[in-house]
Amino acid sequence: MPPVSPSTLTDRELLKRYHEAGDASARETLVQRHLPLVRSLARRYAGRGEALDDIEQVGAIGLIKAIDRYELSREVALTTYATPNVVGEIKRHFRDKGWAIRVPRALQELNGKMGPTIERLTSRLGRSPSIAEIAAEFDTSPEQVLEALEAGSAYAPASLSVGPTGEEGDLDPMETIGSEDEEFERTDDRTSLEPALERLPAREREILRMRFEDGLTQTQIADQIGISQMHVSRLIRRSLDRMRDQLT
Amino acid sequence: MPADRIELTTPTGRDWEPVIRMILGGIADRLDLGFDELDDLQLAVERLLAEGDPEDPVTLSFELLERGVRTRIGPLRDTALAGALQGPPPGPGELTLPRILSTVVDSYGVESAVDGRLVVRLEKAVRK
Repeated sequence: MPPVSPSTLTDRELLKRYHEAGDASARETLVQRHLPLVRSLARRYAGRGEALDDIEQVGAIGLIKAIDRYELSREVALTTYATPNVVGEIKRHFRDKGWAIRVPRALQELNGKMGPTIERLTSRLGRSPSIAEIAAEFDTSPEQVLEALEAGSAYAPASLSVGPTGEEGDLDPMETIGSEDEEFERTDDRTSLEPALERLPAREREILRMRFEDGLTQTQIADQIGISQMHVSRLIRRSLDRMRDQLT
Repeated sequence: MPADRIELTTPTGRDWEPVIRMILGGIADRLDLGFDELDDLQLAVERLLAEGDPEDPVTLSFELLERGVRTRIGPLRDTALAGALQGPPPGPGELTLPRILSTVVDSYGVESAVDGRLVVRLEKAVRK
């Protein structure tokens, strides 16, 4: 009998495979299948001063937790069980990981609109827009744009490295999505970040490889991965900071 | 006529990075740098600042050229850093500081390395 493709199985069958047989591909199929639900829920929280990409990432963590915590004895659909988990994760994110310093609401809102606007301008101009061009789009001053961009740095986006139990040291849930990338080699160079690279989530490793190995621009990476340029920028910084912190 | 120049001496540490990013943003606006070019330059400066001595302030100078900006950062503490930055280009597959700098700026180099202290130069050109 030919093997059954996970994508043809029901949620319940996949949950059984994951919880009873430890089938990681079943878990991944469930995650991919229900990401549209996460996106839909995340959109409800857009326009609150944070990029939609970030909110979706947080929501995805809620989905993964729901899959991991689902009890097969429950007679409830996964979507029903996952929805409050996803929403709860997003709400917790806004409550716990909010603005590190007080940022005026107008700047928070401007920052939240910045990513999509930069994407739109990049597409229209065929290159990354200048600060003045972004300012013109918002009918504001370059100084306001710079302040809003900087305000984004005062926001502490939820770590993508929180594991299923939310405890530090857990396996990164995003680590289980996507493939391993072993292209980077270890080196003893003092300025090398290699030893810490392996501890990054697969997607962050892939972004670093695309940027610093393949030489793709942030815009090109954003197009390929399907997230905003600003989100790529944040992920690169966070990855490099984490790697350096681990080495020092 | 000498190039316009901004000089700033600041404590090191992440708390002070917003000040530096705002200055770089103002320079990028003046030069009409693209958003991604600004981000690249900020990243290069941040990576080098991470090599500063936490006990010592660091001086940054920004020289506005006709088609770009030349940045100098120092003193940075590590003599090994000078070796790495002056050495051969990083090989493929190595994620090192030289690899990062060579990706995000047009050129970089060590300008002085006295008593284990060095000043690093970064140059970023306007693409448009």
